[in-house]
Amino acid sequence: MAAAVRGRRFKWSLELAAAPGGRPRGAAEGRGPLGFAERQLGEGGVHESDKILMEKRCWDVALAPLKQIPMNLFIMYMAGNTISIFPAMMVCMMGWRPLQALMSLSATLKALESSSRRALQGLVFLVGNGLGLALALYKCQAMGLLPTRPSDWLAFVAPPQRMEFTGGGLIL
Amino acid sequence: MAPPPCFEAPSAPRGLLGAPAGCPARCLHPAGGAHAGFPRRQRRGRPFGFEAPSAPGARPGAAMAAGLWALLLLPLAAAVYEDQVGKFDWRQQYVGKLKFASLEASQGSKKLIVATEKNVVAALNSRSGEILWRHVDKGTPEGAIDAMMIHGQDAITVSNAGRILRSWETNIGGLNWEMSLDTGSFQVASLVGLQDVVKYVAVLKKAAISLHYLSNGHQKWVEHLPESESTQYQLLYSHGTGVIHVLGIVPQSHLNILTFSVEDGEITKQVIRVAAPWLKSLNGVCSVVGEAVLVCMDMGTHSLYVCSLETEQEMKQIPLQSLDLEFADGFQPRILATQPNVISPSRTQFFLQLSPSHFSLLQYKHGLLSHLRDFQQVPEINVLKHVRHSKTYIFLYCYWGLQPCYVFSSLFQKPGSSDDLHESLTCSNQTYNINLYLVETGQRLLDTTITFTLEQSGAKPQQLYIQVFLKKDDSVGYRALVQTEDHMLIFLQQPGKVVWSREESLAEVVSLEMVDLPLTGAQAELEGEFGKKADGLLGMFLKRLSSQLILLQAWTAHLWKMFYDARKPRSQIKNEINIDNLARDEFNLQKMMVMVTASGKLFGIESSSGTILWKQYLRNVKPGSSFKLMVQRTTAHFPHPPQCTLLVKDRETKMSFLYVFNPIFGKRSQVAPPVLKRPILQTLLLPIMDQDYAKVLLLIDDEYKVTAFPATKNVLRQLEEIAHSIFFYLVDAEQGKLSGFRLKKDLTTEESWEVIIPTEVQRIVTVKGKRSSEHVHSQGRVMGDRSVLYKSLNPNLLAVVTESTDTHHERTFIGIYLIDGVTGRIIHSSVQKKAKGPVHMVHSENWVVYQYWNTKARRNEFTVLELYEGTEQYNATAFSSLDRPILPQVLQQSYIFPSAISAMEATITERGITSRHLLIGLPSGAILSLPKALLDPRRPEIPTEQSREENLIPYSPDVQIHAERFINYNQTISRMRGIYTAPSGLESTCLVVAYGLDIYQTRVYPSKQFDVLKDDYDYVLISSVLFGLVFATMITKRLAQVKLLNRAWR
Repeated sequence: MAAAVRGRRFKWSLELAAAPGGRPRGAAEGRGPLGFAERQLGEGGVHESDKILMEKRCWDVALAPLKQIPMNLFIMYMAGNTISIFPAMMVCMMGWRPLQALMSLSATLKALESSSRRALQGLVFLVGNGLGLALALYKCQAMGLLPTRPSDWLAFVAPPQRMEFTGGGLIL
Repeated sequence: MAPPPCFEAPSAPRGLLGAPAGCPARCLHPAGGAHAGFPRRQRRGRPFGFEAPSAPGARPGAAMAAGLWALLLLPLAAAVYEDQVGKFDWRQQYVGKLKFASLEASQGSKKLIVATEKNVVAALNSRSGEILWRHVDKGTPEGAIDAMMIHGQDAITVSNAGRILRSWETNIGGLNWEMSLDTGSFQVASLVGLQDVVKYVAVLKKAAISLHYLSNGHQKWVEHLPESESTQYQLLYSHGTGVIHVLGIVPQSHLNILTFSVEDGEITKQVIRVAAPWLKSLNGVCSVVGEAVLVCMDMGTHSLYVCSLETEQEMKQIPLQSLDLEFADGFQPRILATQPNVISPSRTQFFLQLSPSHFSLLQYKHGLLSHLRDFQQVPEINVLKHVRHSKTYIFLYCYWGLQPCYVFSSLFQKPGSSDDLHESLTCSNQTYNINLYLVETGQRLLDTTITFTLEQSGAKPQQLYIQVFLKKDDSVGYRALVQTEDHMLIFLQQPGKVVWSREESLAEVVSLEMVDLPLTGAQAELEGEFGKKADGLLGMFLKRLSSQLILLQAWTAHLWKMFYDARKPRSQIKNEINIDNLARDEFNLQKMMVMVTASGKLFGIESSSGTILWKQYLRNVKPGSSFKLMVQRTTAHFPHPPQCTLLVKDRETKMSFLYVFNPIFGKRSQVAPPVLKRPILQTLLLPIMDQDYAKVLLLIDDEYKVTAFPATKNVLRQLEEIAHSIFFYLVDAEQGKLSGFRLKKDLTTEESWEVIIPTEVQRIVTVKGKRSSEHVHSQGRVMGDRSVLYKSLNPNLLAVVTESTDTHHERTFIGIYLIDGVTGRIIHSSVQKKAKGPVHMVHSENWVVYQYWNTKARRNEFTVLELYEGTEQYNATAFSSLDRPILPQVLQQSYIFPSAISAMEATITERGITSRHLLIGLPSGAILSLPKALLDPRRPEIPTEQSREENLIPYSPDVQIHAERFINYNQTISRMRGIYTAPSGLESTCLVVAYGLDIYQTRVYPSKQFDVLKDDYDYVLISSVLFGLVFATMITKRLAQVKLLNRAWR
């Protein structure tokens, strides 16, 4: 009856887990899913390669800012020193990205937690970002955006106080 | 006349300011009233000049250069839109003090023809006083008008000492003809008629008489006068009989009477010699009455001499005693006779002036002299001619009576000082009468009195011109033109109604200051609240409430007025400004102009409309006095009234006095100025104030002693403290001496330096210091490499210009000296060879610009000097002339300017941030606004990267005149003498007043209006977009909510 009902519901069905012997469906549970191995895998070897990978991944994270630098240098060279919208945007991005990275430093450090040379990687990351920032600053300086010269503060120079008063002219 | 500068505008090589096709070159004709010299306005468009940034069809390189120029010049050019004409500017035109005037006799005529001492011939509308037309001749004696005669529709003038004879069409002011006459000192000119027709004009000169046709000016004949070396020919007489009598005199010997025929100029009779050993001159002493009868007055024998020109050869003596007449001792009597028409004989009646205010009417008829009437206390008699239609003549004259001016003294107590009483002498209103008398009998005509009152000014009437006409009922009516001592013209109608008045003294403004207007009553109330002493918490609170209430009231009134005005068309809104509703506007753009004129009359003129709000005549000012106007207290110190002080110095007696007044209301201040016993040489207005916030004025006299005003204890104590830092410099141009004085604690001075410029070689022409009110915002200039070149801003620096006494074009030179006024140190001196004055100079910030005539290249040139300290500042916090070890660097550059100039001034703004322009008044009457950046000695000859970085325009020697840079489009200013600039409350805006024969006021925006919305800012569009967006946001928000809800239900 049940088979008849099933036969009515599905036109056809395939049971992959079914043994060729035509065992009932409920017996498959004890055997495990497809690709299930009864035997446990060797613990040591797999753990070793994972760690190396992890280390590598951490180094990738730490070295990312440094790797950016040559690219940035190239962009800087191409952008030139004139102040227009694209160079200005580039400089902004160049400055903003390291800043952002530095602000989310704790998150990055957490990501590096698993690494054994955490301190070194953190330092490299810091240095890389610092260099990026310095590069952006240098570009700003080259573009004349930093108020480093007296001319930039000229508008705030107060007129000197007058010490003497004179008056007169042609005799009336 | 020089070609109008507009001819240069189309040839602008850069293609920037050249107008595009379809827009004609904007040519400004000085006299062209209808032709607009401004770009036509396009709605929300820019002036045409900006729409063609580069010349079409130019080569790429040239186009790039043009583009560069466009970039450089774009922010510098300025023009007025068509609908802005007259919005911020106004012009008032004047003619000056009258010399000759003619009021046309017919009743319907609407013109008064005048010739003035300013060498102007003009026609005034007799209904309104407006100028119908005006011709301005040269301002020098070459343009002086010697005589004016009216014949029908033509006015004949003789000018340039009898060299030029002109005929003007009086209806439109056109020149009928012009004739140049031979040289020779001009004596007299007269119309000559022949048998009822006036056809000629005769001009008598020292050695010749010439007759010209009235129709075309051609000379009919010219005759030399015999014995012209010894004889002075002074009188000319004809009365339509075909002969002209010329009277000459050999002083203290005899009279020569010549008779010329009108037709061919032959002497018809032999020269008649009439012995008159007592006669020195004919002018005023002798006159021709009746049918060619000469009447002379002899002071020595107290008698009249009579002689017929045609028949007699002897003079008949008539003693005055026989007529019971006596004249005042020491007074030169005058004889006043008139000829009603040049083709009819003179009247037999004449006036004898016996004393300044005593006239006698006499008649000489059929060999008999009779006395008709005496007129006492008459300051002026005017003899009129009037032809009555029935061919009988009535002669009218008039006089004015003077009611005694009474003097009252009053005591005023000056607020703030305890025991300062003083007297003020005030003259009451003076009332004058004009009466008409019948000349035949001396009877007064009834109902012909004009009574008029002059204001408190106390100026006396000086001249009277009468226009007489017959009314419809055959009675006599007349109008009178009165000129007073203070050069005011009043046109009167019976029975004393002032039809109009003109203030002709404004044609000669000598000094000008702009004073801020006071706050409105409400604001003043609010400010007064803080000014007064505290009187309890509750009192203060109530006061605050009441003042806020007043503010609210004022605001609602303002709103109501706005709504009320908004309904009316714009042209009908009249903002009448009078002395009661004077108030400062938001941006302080409206100010009070205090003007001092050469006649000694002071004016208070509201700057936005040009309305004269007050005037004050100083009677004791002699012509030719020198004036110095100073603002001691501004309106910022409520409740203390603002205070101006005028120093007047008489050129002859050298004595001076101070006049202290309130510049807003024109009233004499109650503060008593010090009595100046010694002649004052110069003044100095110190920034220190007394307890009433009046700045201290120091006056140095010819003994080099100093008087302080005000001289309260507080001031004297302050002076004692800072005496060591006060210095005077005096420049004596006559002796070529500049000297400096140091103030000592006891208010005496000691000489500290002296510079002699030998007068044999050169003479000092101008000395200019800096304006004390000037603010310099930037202390240096940023160079291309971003370093700073600090300006040398020496507030004590004087620029002295000398001209060589040798004016030969090869040897003439001008000298420029920059001298420190404290130490006398010559900071820079240079001599410009082959250069000639007049030199116009502007000295401001760290630069001096001057203009001169280059005699070698024969052109006008500008030279600019700029002073820099270098890239380091010696002392950034304090400037002392006594501690300046390093001389500033002086940079210099010269430029060619295509025109002569008549006045020059620099714009000035509140904080000095806005870039500076030079306002240059051209002889054509235009004012050119020239960016100072064009006159910059750092302009490179070869542009470099750094100079481009600095926005320096590459050097080109010629500075061009672009018509777009004229700030006064076609409102030309005749004979401009000076330009005055004042800052307004807006940093972008500078107020400009140019004065000369005309007065012109406007605003300039050297860096454009960066701090206000444009005049044509589209409020409707912007606000509709804004509201639309807000609305759209609200709708979309709602829609989004609905959509979200729907989705949630799904």
